[in-house]
Amino acid sequence: MTGITSRGRVPIAWRQLSAEPAKLAVSVVAVAAAVALVLLLTGLRRGIGEQVTLYLDHQPPVLVGQEGARNFLSQKSVLPEALEARIAAVPGVADAASITQQYAMLRLHGGRVLAVLIGYDPGRGGGPWKLAAGRAPVGANELALDRVLASSHGLRVGATLEYRGVSLRLVGLTSGTSGFMTPLAFATRSTVDALARQPGTATFFLVSPEPGVAPEGLARRIDRAVPGVSARTREALAAEDRRVFVNAFSGPLLAMVAIAFAVAILVIGLTVYSSTAERSREYATLKALGLRKGALIRLAGVQAAALALAGTLAGTLVAFAAVRAISAVAPRYLVAVTFESVALIGAGALAMALAAAFLPSRYLSRLDPASAFRR
Amino acid sequence: MTVPLARRQLLARPARTFAGLAGIAVALLLVLALKAIFAGMEQRLTVYISRSGTDVIVAQRGVDTMHMTESALPAGAVAEIRVVPGVARARGILYVPTLVERDGKRGLAYLVGEQGRRDPGPGEIVVDRSFGAPVGSTVSALGRPFRVAGELEGTASIANFVAYVSFADLARVLRSPGVVSYVLVRARPGVAAGTLAARIERAVPQVTASTRERFLRSERRVVGDMSTDVVRGMILVGFVIGVAVAGLVAYSATLSQLRDFAVLRALGLRASRALSLVLAQVAATVAAGLALALLLVWLLGLLLPQLSPSLAAVVRLSDVAQTAAVATVVAAVAAALPVIRVARIDPASVFRG
Repeated sequence: MTGITSRGRVPIAWRQLSAEPAKLAVSVVAVAAAVALVLLLTGLRRGIGEQVTLYLDHQPPVLVGQEGARNFLSQKSVLPEALEARIAAVPGVADAASITQQYAMLRLHGGRVLAVLIGYDPGRGGGPWKLAAGRAPVGANELALDRVLASSHGLRVGATLEYRGVSLRLVGLTSGTSGFMTPLAFATRSTVDALARQPGTATFFLVSPEPGVAPEGLARRIDRAVPGVSARTREALAAEDRRVFVNAFSGPLLAMVAIAFAVAILVIGLTVYSSTAERSREYATLKALGLRKGALIRLAGVQAAALALAGTLAGTLVAFAAVRAISAVAPRYLVAVTFESVALIGAGALAMALAAAFLPSRYLSRLDPASAFRR
Repeated sequence: MTVPLARRQLLARPARTFAGLAGIAVALLLVLALKAIFAGMEQRLTVYISRSGTDVIVAQRGVDTMHMTESALPAGAVAEIRVVPGVARARGILYVPTLVERDGKRGLAYLVGEQGRRDPGPGEIVVDRSFGAPVGSTVSALGRPFRVAGELEGTASIANFVAYVSFADLARVLRSPGVVSYVLVRARPGVAAGTLAARIERAVPQVTASTRERFLRSERRVVGDMSTDVVRGMILVGFVIGVAVAGLVAYSATLSQLRDFAVLRALGLRASRALSLVLAQVAATVAAGLALALLLVWLLGLLLPQLSPSLAAVVRLSDVAQTAAVATVVAAVAAALPVIRVARIDPASVFRG
């Protein structure tokens, strides 16, 4: 804190801030809310990126789609299922399993709920990897649905769902398959192909390499050996899915973050400015006593920085508490607040303090010391 | 003679008053801007159907949306729909999400192929101008090269844009002969869309026929249903920040005016009148903050499309009304602290110290 005497130091900045504890608390709350908002929004964006690759994260290291396929979720891919045998015959391939994947816009309780519907061949790869209740679909028009999605709509094993004119019977609930935009649902491939009126097709082939075979090399080999397909590593497809989904949110998110920062800067500036203006006589006295302009400006800066840091700390705590609350109350949202983003916010807080200190600093530098002696 | 005390007190420190209402404005902007951005998304996502000039959209049973939706009908359904009384024209379309690529640049597109449309021709594509593929250039989609034959305007959303290819090309690439995604129906003059939709559902099995308005409502609900929780969260945060900023402004102003209030009380101003003065100041600040927020969101609507053609902000009256309601509650809660402070003023304090 800035001092004014050579012997004892007077914590003027702290006294100014703490003179009105209610005002201090309100200011910290406002800054904390803005900081928490920034952390939660950026965390939601990161969480969406992690959730969209949920299915891929549990699949073999190479996937083969229609030529030009670069992502798993946002691009149509249709291939004849007969290609499965050709891909399986490529040297280095241990297994190739067909799946049919598509978005499913479910109508539940009058609302639209988006899911990713995976059609797989029972006994092969690509089906649900963890069941919370019931069993995996094996017959026509059977469905396994993400547990969180099912419970939020009161669906239990044995319930039926109308989808694209067909009654699907819920035979299982899966866990670890939840997502804000991409919760997973599973049915047999023949069921999904029939819904899409595309029998005998697959959207992707899940390829397991033989031991010791590198996925990148195998993907290149499949590309060369089988015409009309694009073989990609799981990581490459996942990265593209993340890019597509996360980038879509970047524009609105940046606008919101900019507004939240503007709020925080205004709140800090307003608090420091109003307390400075209210004590103009005291500051003028200090100036008349010989306190230099630089020290006065530092006073405003220290108050602004203290508010910014206190708000950031409180906001970070609120954000972490909110993350826990969200995962308990609305588990379909994954909000991934990282220490990296907290560090970025910390740097942002210092920028906020600098910007917010501008107005009170200008006021102090223009303050006439003689005004201390006028009534 | 009356003295406009509330106004004079507010204008005594114009910089602080302006900073305060700017703070309230940006807090309310948090609520308004997000709603405007989502409204813009809804508008862009419905652009294909809005511009299609169709009266009724026929889809697979249970389907009444296009965005992130799959629909497949037997191509024979188009002929069945054509003979339904009241149908002037019925055209099947194929509709798929895909990546359009050019020189390493990739954009997500909804690729549409319409039956009976001559342009674009075989091997050609029409893409949104925002993708940056001029006429004559070559792009690839679904693993095939297409020559750009034309450009569209205003179809780009934050998720994707619309592109057209010939129906035959798309059917071949999708390995879906004998299938259409939707059927777009034009009604004969004098035939109501609702009546025609009901007639089509009765005549053709396993389809859902929606009027354009109903279909567009469903499309908008896709965005609405997905964003409800996020918007609610934002309203809550906007409310907390709004209350904090408005409270801070009102409280700081009241603190600096305590002596004035004491003088007024000593001169005979009643406590209730003093409190109404405080309330008037808070209400005026919040109202001005709301007006500024509206101005800012209007500016945002102008600015966003300049920054990125895929972004749009649309301000709806219902959203303005909701924000005004939030602002009213903000003002009421924010006035609490200064009201308590002024209520406790001792008129005699003006003669002390």
